[in-house]
Amino acid sequence: MSLWVDKHRPKDLMKLDYHKDQATRLKSLVQQSDFPHLLVYGPSGAGKKTRIMCLLRELYGSGAERLRQETMHFTTPSNKKIEIMTVSSNYHIEVNPTDVGIHDRVVIMDLVKNVAQTHQIDSSGQREFKVVILNEVDDLTKDAQHALRRTMEKYVTTCRLILIANSISRVIPAIRSRCLTIRVPAPTETEITNVLQAVCKKEGLSLPSELGARIAKCADRNLRRALLMCEACKAQQYPFTSDQKVPEPDWQTFIRSTAALILSEQSPKKLGEVRQKLYELIIHGVPPDMIFAGLLRELVQNCDMVMKCQVASYAAQYEHRMRLGNKPIFHIEAFVAKFMAIYKKFVEESLM
Amino acid sequence: MSDYPDPEEEYELMYADDLELLREMDDDNDTNPVRKKTNPAKRSLDFSGPIAAKSSSLIPNNATDNNQNPNNSLSLSQSLQPLEDLLTQENTSNGGEDILTQINENLSNKRTAEDLFGDINDIDFDNLELPSKRQKTDEENDMDLINKILEGRKIRQMLAEPSKGYIDKKPNFDVKDNLTRNIPRSPKAAVASSNKFPGREYGYPATDRSPEPRLLSSREHREQLEAKNQQKESNELVQETTTNDSETTDSEMSDLWVERYRPKSYIDLLSEEPVNRALLHWLHLWDKAVFKKDVKTKEPQHRNTFSKRTGQFQLSNKWKGKKENEPEVDEDGRPHHKVALLCGPPGVGKTTLAHLLARLAVSLIVTVGSITSARLAARLSIVAKCEKLRINPRVLSALAARAQGDIRAALHVLSFLKARAKAQVNIEDVENASIGTKDNAKSIMQALQALFTVTDTDPNAILKTIQAAGEYDRLIDGIFENYLTVRSDSRLLIASETMSWLRLYDTINSWILRHQNYSLYSMLPICVARCHSILATRQPVKLRFPIQGQEMFRKKTELDSIVWSVWRGSTASVATTRSALRLDILPLLPYLLSPVLRSANIQLCSETERKSLATCAGAMCDYGLQYIQQRTPEGLYAFVLEPDVYKVAFFGNEDCVRPPPAVRQAIAREQQLEVIRRNDEMMSRMSSRSKSSQAATSKPKLDTKDTAAREVKEMRIPNHLQRLQPKAVQKITPQVQKDFFGRIVPVAQVQKQDAVSDVISSSSVFYQYREGFNNAVRRNVRMRDLF
Repeated sequence: MSLWVDKHRPKDLMKLDYHKDQATRLKSLVQQSDFPHLLVYGPSGAGKKTRIMCLLRELYGSGAERLRQETMHFTTPSNKKIEIMTVSSNYHIEVNPTDVGIHDRVVIMDLVKNVAQTHQIDSSGQREFKVVILNEVDDLTKDAQHALRRTMEKYVTTCRLILIANSISRVIPAIRSRCLTIRVPAPTETEITNVLQAVCKKEGLSLPSELGARIAKCADRNLRRALLMCEACKAQQYPFTSDQKVPEPDWQTFIRSTAALILSEQSPKKLGEVRQKLYELIIHGVPPDMIFAGLLRELVQNCDMVMKCQVASYAAQYEHRMRLGNKPIFHIEAFVAKFMAIYKKFVEESLM
Repeated sequence: MSDYPDPEEEYELMYADDLELLREMDDDNDTNPVRKKTNPAKRSLDFSGPIAAKSSSLIPNNATDNNQNPNNSLSLSQSLQPLEDLLTQENTSNGGEDILTQINENLSNKRTAEDLFGDINDIDFDNLELPSKRQKTDEENDMDLINKILEGRKIRQMLAEPSKGYIDKKPNFDVKDNLTRNIPRSPKAAVASSNKFPGREYGYPATDRSPEPRLLSSREHREQLEAKNQQKESNELVQETTTNDSETTDSEMSDLWVERYRPKSYIDLLSEEPVNRALLHWLHLWDKAVFKKDVKTKEPQHRNTFSKRTGQFQLSNKWKGKKENEPEVDEDGRPHHKVALLCGPPGVGKTTLAHLLARLAVSLIVTVGSITSARLAARLSIVAKCEKLRINPRVLSALAARAQGDIRAALHVLSFLKARAKAQVNIEDVENASIGTKDNAKSIMQALQALFTVTDTDPNAILKTIQAAGEYDRLIDGIFENYLTVRSDSRLLIASETMSWLRLYDTINSWILRHQNYSLYSMLPICVARCHSILATRQPVKLRFPIQGQEMFRKKTELDSIVWSVWRGSTASVATTRSALRLDILPLLPYLLSPVLRSANIQLCSETERKSLATCAGAMCDYGLQYIQQRTPEGLYAFVLEPDVYKVAFFGNEDCVRPPPAVRQAIAREQQLEVIRRNDEMMSRMSSRSKSSQAATSKPKLDTKDTAAREVKEMRIPNHLQRLQPKAVQKITPQVQKDFFGRIVPVAQVQKQDAVSDVISSSSVFYQYREGFNNAVRRNVRMRDLF
């Protein structure tokens, strides 16, 4: 008995709930002899990983689903020992190189080399390549990405790479051009509602359609979140009622309350309070760009149209700077200060 | 005029080096064999090593001078400089000093005492030695001696006063001559002089004391002599230069000036007089324990009265260890404090003081204050003179100011300047010397304070301060934490402006670190300085030390470690990226981990409740969570979720979602059951898989798919372990017996061979030996054989 998210994950390409035509294309891709490197990208909770696992199953059969966790050890050129967790089957290995921070280049090179140097023993009736899945490729350092480019070409006979990214904008073009890019768009709210209904049916529950729609709306087009929310709803109250409270991740609520705080008063004192909230968000591991996005979304709702553009352009500008720097709190607070200044000016002018 | 506490005693402690000087002068003349014995003791002091070599090279000059000049003015002039001790303390030939033979007679007793405790030397020894010795010897002579030395000392000290400079040294030669030649013999004179003690200026190096009226006469006297001797002095300088040049150049290669001009006697010490005196007194207290001599018990009383009346002792010295009425000596006759701790900034003379008081060890705290630059300049002038460096007093004072009380550094600079072989050292040399400045790094708080304060004088001063402080990151953090409280406007324009500079700083700094390209590094302090121009105020501001960033980092690491442990603990089937875990799964997992149960007793729960409980336990297994019993501070046991995902999921309001303790217990039990269930399932699957593999792969693929699907869920054991699982026991089919050549042996024969065992098993009595199988022991025994 595990979570619905895990329990009801489709295992076959043909059983996927949405993006069915893409699934058909993937299936035909497998049937062809030349399987390219893949770059799968799309927002979180869209189903990238599900599709990749289905693809692997299509390639290798159920053996690809016998997963095991292993810890691999690498030594950096500076003799630092690093270890990284991998999930692997006999046919593939999955790794998240960003776990080791700036040493990701070493991991990528060594890992791919290791995998590529072992040929499949019995290649009759099987693929002669193994698959290396790299997560969060967009967060790789430039060094690692360039190392990847070379590695991809070198070991193409014995291994294929499947790269997963949220967005390819931060993947260098050299890698993009070497891969077949597959975009997995986030499911629409209707699609999410359908999935929720299907899952509830499997569980023997009846989900009111209003509640399903509300969950889908709250989930921000993230199917994983939607399923978890639905299960949380069930844990809190069953039978479902259409107006029951949908539990949300607390950080979303927190960002909303922070935005409300910013709008309530614009003063240095308030800015100090906001800073504490921002710190809280950061230490809870909410990515700074999501904080930016969340704040902007909430703040803009209370803005005049003229101000909206201004605020959005500042947010973009400050967020860009934040990516160049490494102290996100400076940039977020700077944005908040700027917004407060703009907002206050606007309010004063409108009062006159 | 107050009574000085035990004046003779104090006096002798302080001016013992003079006594020793006198003594040594005699020794050189009368070649006392006992005196010679002190040599090894001197050598035992480690710091005197290089000096001995140096002084031995210098002193013959003095000796010749002294011999040539019957008036002794020249030689004594040298001996009156602080350097004299260096020259005279060493047991070298210092001939021509026949004046003090009568004192030598008095001191003969002392020398024997010194021989007894040969390893104790230098002034402290003498200081300790003199009082006790005097009790035994002729008091009159002692008083004479004291009186005389006192006079000489007083004048000498006056002359050595920093404000007077080294030019003032000349006149006291004659005074000293007087001192040495005219020894009052009568006891009355001695008494009279001892009465004078209280009002005397005891030659304190401290300049803060006002000169006593008594000194005036001697000062006048000195002034008269000054004019007379000025001509002589210049001659002397020239003479010195010519005679000493070769020796000094030789010796200056071998030792540092710091060593060469280290104070060799008490009076040369630049540190605060009360401190020195307190230490000496304390050392004196050891007399009883160390030398088996009586310590004067009235001493403390005198001290106390003195301090009460004048308040001077109490105020000026830092010796806080001693209470007013507390006995200074414990029952064993040892001082109350066993250890003295000297502390102070580098270069103020702690080591020197300690060396001077060497080995008569060490816990009362004496703070050595910094040396005033005036006094330091005076000393430097003496050094410069000795080294034939012509330096303007102004330059010297600049040097002293630059060294900030660190005489060691100042001497190093001086030595450095000399090494550059410039005859004339001007102020630019001192200003531009790249060595010898004290570590002038500013602390972060100082720099921050400067950042938030308006500077009218120099616009670039703030940049210098920032660069001196160095740690720009900390400074930026400090600005970030304080800018809102220090200066802000309601329109937040200042805040925006400040933040823009902080952002720029962050961007540049990251760029530098990322590319390891430090060409933009000089931009960083400018960013900080710009913040200063925005934020500086005239009001005094209270700044906080930037700790927030670090605190946040610490908390973040804590939460990261929770996420990390969940991520590592989760099974491969649910493995996902950490960001998804953090943003989607963990925030919602707590809702799933708190099933609504009507009763904590599972037996009473409904089917759906039990199902939700099972779901909860399954999820916990998947993500490696478990409830652990922990002892609370109240002594109760509570179930605590490990790792605590609630902390990650919620922003401080997690307690509302936590299940009640009873439910927690139920969950914990269910989770443990689930773990066992999964292990069982895995074990059984292992065996079933091995069986199915034996049954060959001819089975349709669809069949294995179901088991595989289940396997994927819970498999965690790596392949190599799986192979080690025991195989299912196979039914043993009757095997065909073969002989050595592989021919099939008929069944009947085999059974015949087994017949014996059949007999055994079928018999009524059967002994089975547990260990091994041994035919020699084993036999059939029948009951009837026993009867």
